[in-house]
Amino acid sequence: MTEHTVRAFTEELEALGADLTRMGGFSEQALGDAVTAIARRDANLARIVIEGDKKIDVLQREIERKIMRLLALRQPMGRDLRQTVAALKLAGELERIGDLAKNIAKRALNIQEFEPIALTRSVERMGKIAVKQLKQILDTLTSQIVAGAVSVWMQDEELDEHYNSLFRELLTYMMEDPRMIGPGAHLLFVAKNIERIGDHCTNMAEVIYYLETGEDIGTDRPKAVDAALPPISLPPPATA
Amino acid sequence: MNNFSQSSSVGQSGTSLGHAQQTTGILPDAVAKVRARDINVFYGTKQALFDVSIDVPDASVTAFIGPSGCGKSTFLRCINRMNDTIESCKVEGSIQVDGRDINDRAVDPVVLRASVGMVFQKPNPFPKSIFENVAYGPRIHGIAHDKPSLERIVEQSLRKAGIWEEVKDRLHQPGTSLSGGQQQRLVIARAISVNPEIILMDEPCSALDPIATAKIEELIDELRQNFCIIIVTHSMAQAARVSQRTAFFHMGKLVEAGCTDEIFTNPRDTRTQDYITGRFG
Repeated sequence: MTEHTVRAFTEELEALGADLTRMGGFSEQALGDAVTAIARRDANLARIVIEGDKKIDVLQREIERKIMRLLALRQPMGRDLRQTVAALKLAGELERIGDLAKNIAKRALNIQEFEPIALTRSVERMGKIAVKQLKQILDTLTSQIVAGAVSVWMQDEELDEHYNSLFRELLTYMMEDPRMIGPGAHLLFVAKNIERIGDHCTNMAEVIYYLETGEDIGTDRPKAVDAALPPISLPPPATA
Repeated sequence: MNNFSQSSSVGQSGTSLGHAQQTTGILPDAVAKVRARDINVFYGTKQALFDVSIDVPDASVTAFIGPSGCGKSTFLRCINRMNDTIESCKVEGSIQVDGRDINDRAVDPVVLRASVGMVFQKPNPFPKSIFENVAYGPRIHGIAHDKPSLERIVEQSLRKAGIWEEVKDRLHQPGTSLSGGQQQRLVIARAISVNPEIILMDEPCSALDPIATAKIEELIDELRQNFCIIIVTHSMAQAARVSQRTAFFHMGKLVEAGCTDEIFTNPRDTRTQDYITGRFG
C-alpha cells in the first residue's frame, strides 16, 4: 500500500506494528519458558518469567497510549482504522497471555515442593501446542496471510481435547492418592491456563481475520465438549 | 438555459439495476428519492462526469466525498439544474426525483429549485433583514397568503434550523449581521421555508468554526427525519458522522457508493481505500 500523504501517520502505524511484534515476542518467550519451567522443574526460569511479565505490561500501556494519540490526531479510516483497533485488542490478548504464563511460572515454583508427577509430560505437550499456536498467530500478524488465522482458529479444539483428557487423568490420580491433590491441583490450573491461552490465540485469529478482510470470521468453529466443564465420573460410593 | 440536452430516460430506470449494488449504490425502486442514470456532464469540450448512476434514498443523509475536481459538486448541481445557469455546461442522462424526470421540458427549474433547496460553502444571506431572508421564498412562491401565515412560516423555519432562540428578538436586523455559523443556519431556514423535499449542501461547514460546525451537523441529523439530504464534504470524519450512505467520486466517476459504516471501515475499491485513509487526494 502507498504511503499516507502525511508521512508521520505512516510512521506511527509502523511503530505500532513494531511494538505489537515486540510484545508478541515477549509473550511467546514467556509462555515457552513457563512451560519449560514446569517440565524441567526449573525455578530460575520460572522467576525470569514472573519478573519478565512487567515488560509486557509496560509495553501494553505504551501501545494503548500510542493508539489513543493516533485516534485523536489522525482519525484513521478503512484498513488503518481496523489496524488501529486490532492493535488495541491484540495488545490486550497478549497481555492476558503474559499474565497466564506468569501464573504458570508461579505454579512451577509451587510444584517444586512436591514429588514429581507423571502427568507433567502431558501438560508439557499441551503447552507446546499452545506455544505453536501463539507462534503461528504472531506470524500471521506479520505475514498478513489470512489462511494462517483461519488455521489457528480451527485448531483450538485440539487444546480443548487435551485439557479434557488431562482433567480426567488428574482427577483419577488425586482420587487414588490424596498426596497428589496438591501438585495435581496446581497442574490442573496450569492446564486450564494453557487452555485459556489457546482461547486467546483464537481471539487473536478473529481479530486478525477482521483486520485483513473487514469481515467476521464466522461462528462455525469445531468445538470439543465444553472445556470448562468436562463431564466428571466419580467412583460409586462404597456400600456398607 | 436550454443548452442542456434532453434526457432519453424512457424505460431506463429499471435497466441499470443489474449494476453491482455494492459499488454503484443502486437501490430498490421504492427506496430511491433521487435516481440518476448515466449522467455525463461537459464544460465545453471538457468532460467532468462520466456515466454516473446512483440512487439517493429519502429521509436520510448521503455524503459525496472525493478529492477536489472529482465532480461531486458538479453532480450535486445537476440535481437542481444549477448547471443550466452555466452557458458552456451540457448535462446528459436522466435524473428522476420521485420518478419524475427533472430535465423534462415541462419542469420549471425555479419550481424545481424550491423543492430541491441548496446550501453553499459560504453563507449567502440576502442583504435584507433576518425575517425577509426567510420570508422571501414563501412570498414569491405564493406559499404564504397573509402576514400571520408568513410570520408563522418564518418562525417555524427558523426553529427547524435551530436558530430561532438566537434571532427572535432581532428579526429586523440584517442577515449579514449574524455570525458565520448563524448565517449558515439562516440560509438553511431560508431553504426549508419553501417546503423542499431535498436539501443539497455543498461543503456547508468548511467556512465555520468547530462549534458552529457541530451545530450544523446536529441540525442535519434532525432534518434528515423529514428531508432527503445530500452533503458534499471534504471532511471524512464529518461524512462518517452525519451520513448514512456515502458515495466516493474520483476523476469524474462514481467509484463506490454504499452504507457509510461499510465505506469507512471496509471500502471495496482500492481508490476509496487510498482516499479515505489519506493516501492521495
